[in-house]
Amino acid sequence: MKKILLAGVALLAIAGTVQARDLVVAQSSDLRSNNPGVNRDGNTDGVILHIVEGLVGYTNSGEVKPLLAQSFETSEDGLTYTFKLRDGVKFHNGKVLTAEDVVWNWTRYLKPETKWTCLNDFVEGGAAPVAGVKAIDASTVEIKLTKPSAVFLGLMSRPECGYTGILSPDSVTADGSFDKPIGTGPFMWDEWKKSEYIRLAKFNDYQSPDNDGKPDGMVGSKRPLVDGVKFMVIPDASTVKAGLESGVLDTAEISPDLIPEFQNSDKMQLIVARNNGKNLFYFQTRDKVLSNPGVRRAMAMALDLDQLVAAASNGTGEANGSMVSQDSVYFNETQKKRLPYDLEAAKKELDAAGYKGEPISIIANKRGNVPSYPAAIMAQAMMQQIGLNVQIEVLDYATQVDRRRSGNYQVISQSVAPRLDPALMYSFYVGNKDKNASLMWDNPKAVELMNAAYAEADQTKRQAIFDEFHELMLQEMPGIFLYDMVDVWGASKTLKGVPVWQSNTRLWEVSLEN
Amino acid sequence: MIRFILNRVLMALPTIALVAITVFALIRFIPGDPAELMLGDMAQPAQIEALRTELGLDQSLPQQFLIWLGNVLHGDFGRSIVNGEAVLPLVLERFVVSAEVVVVAVFLASLIAVPAGVIAAWRQNSVTDLALVGTATVLLSIPTFWLGLLLMLFFGLKLGWLPVLGYVSIRDNPTAGLLYLILPVMTLVIHEAGVLIRMARASTLEVLRLDYITHARAKGLSESAVLWRHAFKNAFGPTWTMIGLILGNLLGGIAVIETVFTIPGLGRLMVESIFARDYPVIQACLLVVALSYVLVNLVVDLLYPLFDPRVVAE
Repeated sequence: MKKILLAGVALLAIAGTVQARDLVVAQSSDLRSNNPGVNRDGNTDGVILHIVEGLVGYTNSGEVKPLLAQSFETSEDGLTYTFKLRDGVKFHNGKVLTAEDVVWNWTRYLKPETKWTCLNDFVEGGAAPVAGVKAIDASTVEIKLTKPSAVFLGLMSRPECGYTGILSPDSVTADGSFDKPIGTGPFMWDEWKKSEYIRLAKFNDYQSPDNDGKPDGMVGSKRPLVDGVKFMVIPDASTVKAGLESGVLDTAEISPDLIPEFQNSDKMQLIVARNNGKNLFYFQTRDKVLSNPGVRRAMAMALDLDQLVAAASNGTGEANGSMVSQDSVYFNETQKKRLPYDLEAAKKELDAAGYKGEPISIIANKRGNVPSYPAAIMAQAMMQQIGLNVQIEVLDYATQVDRRRSGNYQVISQSVAPRLDPALMYSFYVGNKDKNASLMWDNPKAVELMNAAYAEADQTKRQAIFDEFHELMLQEMPGIFLYDMVDVWGASKTLKGVPVWQSNTRLWEVSLEN
Repeated sequence: MIRFILNRVLMALPTIALVAITVFALIRFIPGDPAELMLGDMAQPAQIEALRTELGLDQSLPQQFLIWLGNVLHGDFGRSIVNGEAVLPLVLERFVVSAEVVVVAVFLASLIAVPAGVIAAWRQNSVTDLALVGTATVLLSIPTFWLGLLLMLFFGLKLGWLPVLGYVSIRDNPTAGLLYLILPVMTLVIHEAGVLIRMARASTLEVLRLDYITHARAKGLSESAVLWRHAFKNAFGPTWTMIGLILGNLLGGIAVIETVFTIPGLGRLMVESIFARDYPVIQACLLVVALSYVLVNLVVDLLYPLFDPRVVAE
C-alpha cells in the first residue's frame, strides 16, 4: 500500500514539475465571473487586478497616478481630462494598445447592457458623468465630463469597477458576448477549473509603469516574478493552514488566532498589512434610543478603544476613530482626535440623555476574517459598566446585510471594504436615509460636506472639508469607528514580497526562492 | 416487477413534490436577498430593485413557484443567480463528484463492517465483541470534520504520503484522482463503519437466537457454515436497508468532508448557494438529493429478495 502511495506521490511530483514555478495562493470562494467589473465580489476583483489595468491607479497613500497613461491633464474648468498613453504597451494577444482601444472600452462600459457595476457613477446623476470619450491621436484620449468631479479618477481606479480595465476588443466574441479578459496586466488569463482553481500565466512582454523599483498600490513596479499564479478555492480555514504547512500553498489569508503559531514557525512567515477598510459600530440614528446623540457619545466614551482593538485584532490593529484611514494622505492630527475613554463623563451624558435602561442590540456575525463578533462582545462588557443594557444578536452575513439594507437594526458590528478616497468612504455611511435606508447618517451638514469633497479637487481645501467632517462626527457620533482593517496572511519562508494589498491578493513583485 | 418499479416511482412523486414546495418556501422565508448580496456594498436601492425585477424576485411567491415549476417540468432548472451558469448541468456534475466519494466509501465501509458485526455477534460478550462494539461506538461518535482534519494532518502533513488539498477527478487522471480520494473516503469509511458494525451485530444476534440456528448446530454443522450459510443470509436484510439509507443520506450530505478536503461536490455547492441565497441552485440540489434518495432505496428494495427470498418485489 505504501509503495502504491509513494508511487502516486512521485507521479504527482513529476506532473507538478511542469508548473513548478507557479505561486499558489488560497481564496475562500470561486470567481463570480472573469468579466472585469461586471459580475464580481472581492475575490473576483483580486484575480482581475493581475490581468487588467486602467488608465490610472491608486498608490499606497490613496493618490491616483498614471498606469496605462504616461500622464494626464485636467482642463481649468475641470471638465476635460486628456490622457497620454504609454508607448508600446501590449495586450496579452500581442496587439499594441491604442487610443481607439480606450474609446472602445469606455463605450462598452457605458452601455447599460454591459451591466458594469459602476455605470451609475459615470452617467447623468452620478458623481462623474461622462459626456464623451474620443481619441485625439493614436496615443491620446480625451474624456469629457458634464460636471467637475474630484473623484473621477478615483472612481475609475476602484476594484469594484474592475479598475475600469482596458481590454483588447478581442475579449469579446463576434456576437458581442464576453469571452475572456485580454488585458495588459503582468499576468494573463490561462485556465479556470470551476470551484477548484484559477490559473494565470506570466505575461512575458509586460511593461511596468514608471517606478522607483518598488510596488506602490496599483502602480509602481509590477514585474511578474513567477511563471504563473494559481488561485485555489479553499473555503475552510483549517485546510488553508494545512495547505501552508505542507507547502502546497505558498501564501493565503489566515485566521487571526493563528498569529502566534505563524510568528514562531520555522517554515512559515506571518504577513500583517493594514488597509483602508473599516471596522465600526454602525448606528441606526433613527432608532428611538439611539437617535439621541448623548446616548451615542456615552457609548463611545465607555469604550477603552485601545484595549478593545488590541483584543479584537489579536494585537495587529491600531485604534482609529476617524472615517479617514491612517494610511491616507488626509490623515492628520485632527483626524486622530477621538472622544476620551471616561466612564464618569459617559454616565453623565447618559443621564442627561434620559436613558432608562432600554435594550440596545448589537448585530454581529461570526465570519472568521472580520472582528464583528469579538468586537461586539468586548463592547458589550465595556458598555454594561456604565449601565447600558446591551445585547448581542448573532446573524449570518446575508441576514445582516438584509437588516442593514432595510434599516431594521440598532447597532451593527460591521466591516467595510477599503475605499481609498475618504469621500468614497463617506458615501457608504452618509446621505438621505429616506432614499436609501442602509445609510447611517443623514445630518444635512455632513451631507453637504461629503458633496463638497466629491466636487473639490484641491488637496488643501479637501483636507479642511475632511477635518470639519471629523469634528462634526465627534459631536454627533453617528457610529463608532474602531480601527482600520488588517490583512493577516501566512506564507512559506521562501516567499519574498508582500502578497496582499488593500485586502486583495497582489502577486506581482512576489517571488519564490529555492 | 415492472409494475412494482412503476408503483414505487409513482409513490415517490408526492414526496418529491412536497420537497419542491417546502424547499421553495423555506429558502425564501430565510432573511437575506440574493440581489443585495450580488451587488455588494456599492449598490443603490434602485440597482437592487432592478436586479430583483430581472431575477423575477419582485413577483409574488406563488407566481414565482408556478413559473419555476413550469420550467422544471420542461427540464429547465434555470440559471444560477451568482454566476449565470445553467443549474442542471452544474448540479449533476457536482453530484457525480460526490457520488464518486460516497459510493466507494459506503462499499468499503460495508465490506469491513458487515463481517466485523457478524463476528462480534458470534462472539457475543467476548473480548472480541467488546473491542469491536467499543471501537464502533468511538468511530461513530467522532465528528467527521475533526477526523478528516486529523487524517489530513497525519497522512498529509506528518507522513507526507497523501495530498492535503486540491482535487483531481478520477475521470481526468485515474492515478492522481485516486490519491486525492483516499483521505475523504477513509474518513467516511471510518465513520460509517461504526454505524454499520452495530447494525450488523444487532441483526445477527437476533437471528442467532432463533430455533433454526440451534437446529443447524445440532445437525453438527461447522460454526462457519452456521454463521455464513444460515445466519448471515437472514441477518443481512436490515443491514442492507441501512446501507441504502446511508448511501442516500451521504449522496447529498457530505458538505463537511467536501469543505475540509476541497472537493467540488454537491454538498459544498449547496452550502455555498445557501450563503449566497442562490435560490435556483439550492432548489435543484435538494431535488436531486431527494430523487437520488428515492432511487437508491428503490434499488435496495429491488435487490432485497436476493438476500431474503421471503420478500418478493411485487
